Order: sequence, then C-alpha cells, then structure tokens
Amino acid sequence: MSAAAELPTKEAHILKGHEGAVLAARFNGDGNYALTCGKDRTIRLWNPHRGILIKTYKSHGREVRDVHVTSDNAKFCSCGGDRQVYYWDVSTGRVIRKFRGHDGEVNAVKFNDSSSVVVSAGFDRSLRVWDCRSHSVEPVQIIDTFLDTVMSVVLTKTEIIGGSVDGTVRTFDMRIGREISDNLGQPVNCISISNDGNCVLAGCLDSTLRLLDRTTGELLQVYKGHISKSFKTDCCLTNSDAHVIGGSEDGLVFFWDLVDAKVVSKFRAHDLVVTSVSYHPKEDCMLTSSVDGTVRVWKK
Amino acid sequence: MGSDEEDFVFHGTPIEREEEIASRKKKAVAGASGNLRTLPAWKQEVTDEEGRRRFHGAFTGGYSAGYYNTVGSKEGWAPQSFTSSRQNRAGARKQSISDFLDEDEKADMEGKSLSASSQFDTFGFTAAEHSRKHAEKEQHERPSAIPGPVPDELVAPVSESIGVKLLLKMGWRRGHSIKEVRASSDARREARKAFLAFYTDENTKETPDSLVSETEVETSLGEDIKISESTPVYVLNPKQDLHGLGYDPFKHAPEFREKKRSRMSANKEVGFRKPLSMKESLFGPKSGKIAPGFGIGALEELDVEDEDVYAGYDFDQTYVIEDEQPARQSNDNRLRLTSKEHDVLPGFGAAKNSDYSMERFNPPIIPKDFVARHKFSGPLEAETKPTVSAPPEVPPPADNNLKLLIEGFATFVSRCGKLYEDLSREKNQSNQLFDFLREGNGHDYYARRLWEEQQKRKDQSKLTLDVKVSPTVQKMTAETRGSLLGEKPLQRSLKETDTSASSGGSFQFPTNLSDTFTKSASSQEAADAVKPFKDDPAKQERFEQFLKEKYKGGLRTTDSNRVNSMSESARAQERLDFEAAAEAIEKGKAYKEVRRATEQPLDFLAGGLQFTSGGTEQIKDTGVVDMKSSKTYPKREEFQWRPSPLLCKRFDLPDPFMGKLPPAPRARNKMDSLIFLPDTVKAASARQVSESQVPKKETSIEEPEVEVEVENVERPVDLYKAIFSDDSEDDEDQPMNGKIQEGQEKKNEAAATTLNRLIAGDFLESLGKELGFEVPMEEEIKFRSKPEDSSDKRLDRPGLKEKVEEKTSSLKLGSEEEKSRKKREKSPAKRSGGNDLSSSESSGDERRRKRYNKKDRHRNDSESDSSSDYHSRDKQGSRSRSKRRESSREKRSSHKKHSKHRRTKKSSSSRYSSDEEQKESRREKKRRRD
Repeated sequence: MSAAAELPTKEAHILKGHEGAVLAARFNGDGNYALTCGKDRTIRLWNPHRGILIKTYKSHGREVRDVHVTSDNAKFCSCGGDRQVYYWDVSTGRVIRKFRGHDGEVNAVKFNDSSSVVVSAGFDRSLRVWDCRSHSVEPVQIIDTFLDTVMSVVLTKTEIIGGSVDGTVRTFDMRIGREISDNLGQPVNCISISNDGNCVLAGCLDSTLRLLDRTTGELLQVYKGHISKSFKTDCCLTNSDAHVIGGSEDGLVFFWDLVDAKVVSKFRAHDLVVTSVSYHPKEDCMLTSSVDGTVRVWKK
Repeated sequence: MGSDEEDFVFHGTPIEREEEIASRKKKAVAGASGNLRTLPAWKQEVTDEEGRRRFHGAFTGGYSAGYYNTVGSKEGWAPQSFTSSRQNRAGARKQSISDFLDEDEKADMEGKSLSASSQFDTFGFTAAEHSRKHAEKEQHERPSAIPGPVPDELVAPVSESIGVKLLLKMGWRRGHSIKEVRASSDARREARKAFLAFYTDENTKETPDSLVSETEVETSLGEDIKISESTPVYVLNPKQDLHGLGYDPFKHAPEFREKKRSRMSANKEVGFRKPLSMKESLFGPKSGKIAPGFGIGALEELDVEDEDVYAGYDFDQTYVIEDEQPARQSNDNRLRLTSKEHDVLPGFGAAKNSDYSMERFNPPIIPKDFVARHKFSGPLEAETKPTVSAPPEVPPPADNNLKLLIEGFATFVSRCGKLYEDLSREKNQSNQLFDFLREGNGHDYYARRLWEEQQKRKDQSKLTLDVKVSPTVQKMTAETRGSLLGEKPLQRSLKETDTSASSGGSFQFPTNLSDTFTKSASSQEAADAVKPFKDDPAKQERFEQFLKEKYKGGLRTTDSNRVNSMSESARAQERLDFEAAAEAIEKGKAYKEVRRATEQPLDFLAGGLQFTSGGTEQIKDTGVVDMKSSKTYPKREEFQWRPSPLLCKRFDLPDPFMGKLPPAPRARNKMDSLIFLPDTVKAASARQVSESQVPKKETSIEEPEVEVEVENVERPVDLYKAIFSDDSEDDEDQPMNGKIQEGQEKKNEAAATTLNRLIAGDFLESLGKELGFEVPMEEEIKFRSKPEDSSDKRLDRPGLKEKVEEKTSSLKLGSEEEKSRKKREKSPAKRSGGNDLSSSESSGDERRRKRYNKKDRHRNDSESDSSSDYHSRDKQGSRSRSKRRESSREKRSSHKKHSKHRRTKKSSSSRYSSDEEQKESRREKKRRRD
C-alpha cells in the first residue's frame, strides 16, 4: 500500500521515564519537542527526535491528564486529578500560577492562539477560561452548559469547542455569541480539529470516531475498528488531513483514510491502552503514549 | 669631737645590717621588674609571685582573684548566652565549686577530698571511672569506629580490686561461685585454707593438698553450681540472636523474656517448642484473647471489641516467634549445654560452640536473560507465549489450495492453540491433504506460517489446557459474564437480523450458533454472552459444565459425566467451540476469533475457503448499522451564549454583546452575594438569561426597570416570600379578575429579566410543583395578546395589585390569608382611614409607570434585532416550560419591585396603614368578584 508507506509506522524512539501510565503526549507548536504527562504526577519534556529527556516538572499532587504548550514555547499549562490548572514556565520549571476552581478532575487544557487564556475542561461539567495575562486566578468565564463531564477541548481563533460525555460537541463562537451543540448520541471522548478547520473529529466511546462538518453539523464519516470504550483515548488527524489516527485500548494504533474510512494501517504500538496520539505539525512523525509507561516516537 | 671622727681609720668594708640588705635586695628586684623606685606610691602595683596584680584600689575592685581580675575564666562573670534548640538541646549545666576556684585554691582543696585508692577499690568503681576517663580522652585524640562515648560495659576496669585479690589468694578462681558449696562440713576447712593461703603468700597455694581438694570439690559439684553467678553474663548467655548489640527486644515487655526463657528451657529438654499460654501471664485477669497485631494502648483497657474474632488463631505461636532467632540456634544452644555437662574442664568453655557460625545461603541466581525492568503485561493476557525461535522462511508450496489451507490452518491454530493442531492431526491421520501436519508436504511452510501467526497474535494468550483463571472469573455469574463481553441482553429485533444477514455475505454460517456469534461480533455489544449456545439447550448445558470444570482448575476429565451419545468428532469439535467461547469470555474483545473458532472450522478447512481477514468487512457492516441508527444523531442545536467581555478581549474579538444586555454581568455580581447558591448554579443562571429573553422579546418588554429590581433582591428571605406569595396569588387571583391580571402582567413583564429572578423562577417552579401549585398558561397568552389595553385599568387601581401581593408575601399560607380576609370583613369601618394613604401611594406609582412606558418604546427598538435568536431557541420544545417559568418569574419580580417601592414608603406611613391597604385591596377584589 502506497498510502501506508507514507505513514509513520516505524518506531524511532522509545521515551522511557514515566513511572506508570502516560496519559498524554503532545508535540509543541513546531514539533521539535514533546511534553508528556502521566500517573506519576510528573510532566516531562523530551526531544522526541533524539529520544532525550530534557526536563521533568513536578508539582502536581495527583495524576496529570493533559498538557499544552504555548506557541512561543515559553509557558505551558497542565491539569489533572488535583482539580487545578497549572501554568508553568518552561525554562525554570516553576509554576507561575495555579488556577483553582474546578470542582472535579480536570481532563484537558488548551491555550488559545495568543496564549493569553487557558481553557480547561473538567469533570464538573464545565469549561473554564483562565486568564494568563492578569494576575487574577478567577476564571474569566465558566461555560456550564454541558450535561456531563467535559473530556476534551479545542480552541480556534474565535471558538471554543468542547466534547463531553453527554454526547455533545459544543462550539462556542465568540464572534456571534452563539453556542452550537452537535449531539452525537454517544459519549465523546476526544475531539480534534482538522487542520483546515472545517471538520471536527470526535472520538466516541462506542469505539467509533466521527467526523463532523463544522458549518453544518453533518456527519461526514465514521471510523471504526479500534476499541475505545472505557479509557480516555485520543484521536487526531495527520497534518495533511489525509488520514485519521486513533489509539485503541488493545494497544494498536489505527490509520484510516479520511475520505473512505478504510483502515489503511494498523499496528501494535504498545502492549496496553494507547492513551494519546499526537501528530507532528509538519513532518510525518507521531507520538503515542500508553498505560504501559512508555511514549513512542513513530516515523516513516 | 669632730676631729675625733676624722681620726678614725676604717679597715675593710663595713658590714651592713642584714635587714637593710634584704630590703634593698627586694627593692632591687622590684625595681628591676616594675621600676618601683621611680614610681610614686600610688602608682606602684603589688603583684603576686606570678606577676598578677592582686590588689586594686578600693574603688576599682579591691582584692582580686582569678583570671585578669575576673574569676576562673576569660569570660569570668560575663553572662553566658543560653541557647537551646531542637537539634542542640542545652543540657542542664552542672556547676560545682571548682568552677569558681583558682588553681591555688584548688590545690588547697585537694587534700580534703576523700577517695578510695585503686588498690583498695573493692568494687572497681574508681578503676572503672579512671579507665573510662582514660578511654574518653583517648577517643578524643583518635576517633574510633564507634562514634560517641564508649558504653560503660565495654570498658572494663583494668585493675583488680583488693577484694578480688583477696579471693584469689583464698583459692577462688574466676568463673566460680563464692557461695558455700558444702555449708556444713567443708566450710570451716575451706575457710581455714583460705586464711592460710592468704597469709602464707603465693607458694602455699601450690600445695598439692589444696589443689586436690579443690578439684575434688569441683568435680563433685553439680552443673548448676559450676555455672556460677560471678561468671560474666556474656559468657553464660552468649549472644545468639540476630539483634543489634545491646538491643533488648524485651526491654519494654519483660513478660516475654520470661516466656522465652521458659521456652528455651523446654527446648533443651524436649527438643521442640512447647508454647506456653500467654494469657495467664499477660492478660489473664482481663480478657480472653486479643487479635494479633493490634495492640492496645497502655492506658486502655481490653474491651470486648478487642477480642480476637478469629477464634482458633494461635496467638502465642504466631506472635512471639517472629522476633526470635532461627530455629537452628536453639539446637545449637542445646548442643553447647549438653557438651558442658560432660567432660569439660572447669574454667574452659566449649570452644567449638562459642564461635557460632550461621549458615549462609547464596543469593538466588539471576537468569541471564533477566531484565531488571518490569514490563507491564496486559490485564487480559492470561499468559504470554514463550518466544519460539523463528523457523526459517520457506517458500509456499506450489499448490495454491494447499497454501491457502496451510495458511488458514496456521491462523486458526495460532488462535485456538496447539490443542487444535493435535486434534486435527489425530483426526486427519489418513487425510492426504493434512500431511503438512506430520512432516509431510508443506510442513516447513506450515511451521513458518504458524510462527508468524503466533508472533502476530502474541498479545493474545494461547489457550492451553491448564489455563489459570483469575479468581474473579471463577465466580462468574451470568451478569458478570455478560458485562465482560460488554453487552446487553440480546434483543431479537429486525435490525439485527438484517445485520447478520449482511455480514454473512461472504460466509454462510451453517448453524444458529455461529449466528449468535456473528451478531455479537457485528453489533459489538448485543449478544448473549451469558448463553452463547442458547439455541441448543443441551449444548449450553454441556458448555456450562465445561466451564465449571475448567474453572475448577487442573486438568479436565473429558466426558466425565457427559452423555456419550455424540460421536468422537462431534464432541471434539464441540469442545473446541467451548474452548473458544470460554476464551471469548475471558477476553471480551476477541469476538471475531470466537466466530472463526466456532463456525465449523473443519468444514472451512476442508473446503479450502479463502480465509479473509474479515475484519474490515465486519467494521463496514457495523458502520452501516450505526449510520442507520444514528441517522437522527448528529443533532444540531443553537443557543445563545454570552462570552464575557474579557474573554473577547483576550481573543482579540469585539464583544458581540457590547452595550447589550447589561443584566448578565451585573446580575452575576449580585449573585455572589447570594450565598446559598453554588457555583454551578451561578453559571447555569447565565444560561438562563438567554433562555429567559425569549418571551421577553416577544412581548417587547424593556430593561430599564432592572435597576430598581436589582436593588430589591438583597435578602434571600424575600425570595422565599416571593415564591410563596406568587403561587398562592396565582391560585387566588386568576380565576376572578382577568383584567387586573393583565395589567399586572404588563407591569411584570417590564421587570422580567433580572438574573436573580430567573433563578428564583427556576426555584419557584420546582417549589410550586412540590407544593402542588399550578401556574396556568392561559394568563400569559392572554396578556400577551393585548398588552396595551390594560393601562387604564392599571390607573384605576394602581395600588391594588401590589397590595395584594404585599399581603400574600407577609402571609405565607393560604389559610392565613383566609383568616385575614375574615378579619377584614369583620371590621369594615377601618377602611376609610386607609384610603387616603393608598391614593397617595397610587399616584406615585402611576408616575413611575408612565416613565417606564416611555422607556419601553426605546427599548423595543434596540432589542428587536436579536430577537431571532430567541425564536430559534424557542423551537426546542422548551417553549411552554420556559414561558411558564417566565410568567411566574415576572410575577415575582413585579412583586419585588413593588415591595421595594413600599418599603421606602413605609418609612413615612404607619404599619397600620399598610394593613389598611391590604384590607382595602381585599375588599376591592371582593367587590369585583361580586
């Protein structure tokens, strides 16, 4: 298969260091570095292309569930079981601010484009927007329309998109002051946005990924074959938007063709649940993290 | 006479007087030291022999002693700073007189202190003291391996006391008791001997007589006497345990020491430990048994709950043993003691036992391929397959059919396990086609294929005969089994049969059995895992039997109690089915495999069917189904959402609500003062702002009143009152005066949008429901249809409605209302007084209302543009509910407004007048009714 040949299915490095499950692995903005976080309450900064651990950030009191870096690589934010959102300085490794307010575990965090706010998605059914510019630790806004845990959040220049266990993907458009709720009928585990910004991919807990047209709310395609029923697993699109990637609970990673939803490639990436997949913004390189405690770097 | 003097002749040098010489000498010495001569008297100093100044002027210290006119030390009397920290505890400083003495004074004191000279130090205290001091000094000079002061026990006195010397002269030897051996007969003889020995010095001791007698005595003595008390403890009780030096495990529990000793003695005799009951010694009088491992505090009494519920658990055996030495040592001990019993010379220990050697065990040998890193094994993997070295790559056989067969078979074997291979080999002994199983044609290829398959599937456990099942599986009920498979009870719907048909496109499943499995595989959640062979009860029964046997562990006895009506092959095949089904239960994910395994494997092999991966087809099928079922699903809804201005700012966007809808932020501030509302409610309220705006827009009501209202809602108490009053009022008012209602509604609408109210509205609704109140729909529709025409009426009785409300707010329940009404009816005379007040009030109200009407018009224009939003929201079917809520909200808010209004007035008007107003309103209402 020619398509499969383009995919990063060869293991380039194994990033070992986390003790216990790794819950998220994320490239930074330019893809040169990666941040991972896990059950061991640490966040680790890696050079995935050389397989080197650069720094370990410790401050969380419980497991760290998500992490996101600013576009200028100066700061990053993280969240986890201790109900707080941490705002870190990358170089010094110090926590600049802790945002408290969520009433439950925080599942996901994201910066906006200008890195001026952090949006966190929590178990308390809310999205909260935190201000990084001012010294206020109060949320700028609480979006509380979700009916169940918010699992994932994605930001565009003008919108906040959240995926929730209540089965909805809700888009909050700041330009027109409108909330658009797309009910998928299945708990949404993870959402990710296509690089052209037109589609949103929602990983549902019925072992299905669904591709939605953002303007119309239409279901464009359904991707199946993997297992995603009880764990928080990630899905994403390749940087060319040609393929859809999904981690499976049996340790496999699936590649689907975006258009005809065929499984282009699947391979065993880990022994255990693949918790997170992250695709390089430019190159054909992929990060996967797993409950088995490893992060793997995949290249062509 | 003067000449006489001159005539004297002097010879020699005249002898000067001695005193003069002495004084001059002194002066010379003094002059040499201090130039005394030259100094005036008041400057001359007196020093002692060491040149220290001892005498000072009366005003500068008088007689001085010590160090530079201080006492004893450089610091002298200077106060020492006292520091004591947690780390460095300041010990109690002992001061003695010597601290304050000069050395000369000390020398004076020296003669007065009494101490035993070492020679007569019977008990060795002085010697011990001395040696300790010496050791301390030594330690300071060269630090030893053991830091800190050396324990006393280690520093033995070097010198012998006079008592020991005496005893030695008396014939006593070290290690022997001094106590009387044969008190009556030998005592005198011994004493005499000792006396003799002492006085006749060394050589007498060597008299053969005494020697002989001594040995006689000692040999004749019993063992217990020989081990005397004067023997050092460490000789008698050599350290045999593994505790650290000086550690006494029984320090705080001497009872156990006693027990241990008795047990050791028991050991000596019997050879095995005879547990002694601890109860009597320790807890005897208090209680029976306590649970091991859970101690009680020193101040606590043993209570009923402390008793050991695990009766029969031997406390003595388990508890005391644990800090004992290994069992071997007791053996050792006995050996030593027994050997001593026999022929050991007095004064000699049994040396071979004293150097106690412990048996050492080598550490376990680490396998060469051991990696010191734990690899997480999958929870579902029962066991991992041992890595088999890869057979060499072999080209497939030329026969395509055979190749397919081999490949399929290899896949299958890798899935079902070796058992299957054996079985089929056995079965197809004669079949030429299956030669590859027995070293025949294509065997190499088969081996290779098999290995590849196994590698592929190494994550999945190989099913073996003696599979170890986790204990949870052991007690598997139908439900758990079903949940393991992740499914709901099978529903025989049309849709499902459809799917099975469609998925069966490439395969024809000959049995119902496979049908069930296909279904479970296709819909991934709907199948009855509880009974995979539901269609065949007998088979299901056998399957359960099989499971039972299997989970009991060990090797299964095949056909132990099975009906032997089946043929050999059928049974084997069925067993394979069972195996596969069991495996499927074990790992809930392997649906497809199960299907493969259960659907007639032999047929498929014999037929040489193509063994497609099938996975994708499956997926597609299910995908179709899901698409079908989720036709309705991506449901899109749109709501109003108000981003906070700061959020827009941070995103560099213009605030879409800039200048609009002031209530939201302001209300939020107000909300913060309402303590009883949790955070989430606050946020929820924000959402309801948008909801609430729907009817408001339709009826074109404006904002400005908000300001007034917001002020009103200060205390939650008002909220409650409002809630109750609103509902009761609804009940009362609606049926009787629709028109007033309308006018009222109009007013209310104007005040509809406060956030507080919204929340209260929610609250109200639920409360109303609880209390059984109904908020009818008609009223709202009515007033909406004719919003303008009630203004005149309103002017007619401006104070009425609010009065009614006031009344109800103060009286929470309808019954009270009734009471007041009765009262009012009884006393109509009071009415007249109140009328004036009410009219004045009404005029004020009227003015205000006019003002609002003006603002209304402005408001309508500004708000019309965004009304489309609300329509969209309204479509969601929540219309009626929100409207109802709205109406109640409105009422409440209007009440609020008026209450405020009233409150301000109350300051001027009397309480009585307000009562009057109420009554008047009542009457008016009644009149209306009539």
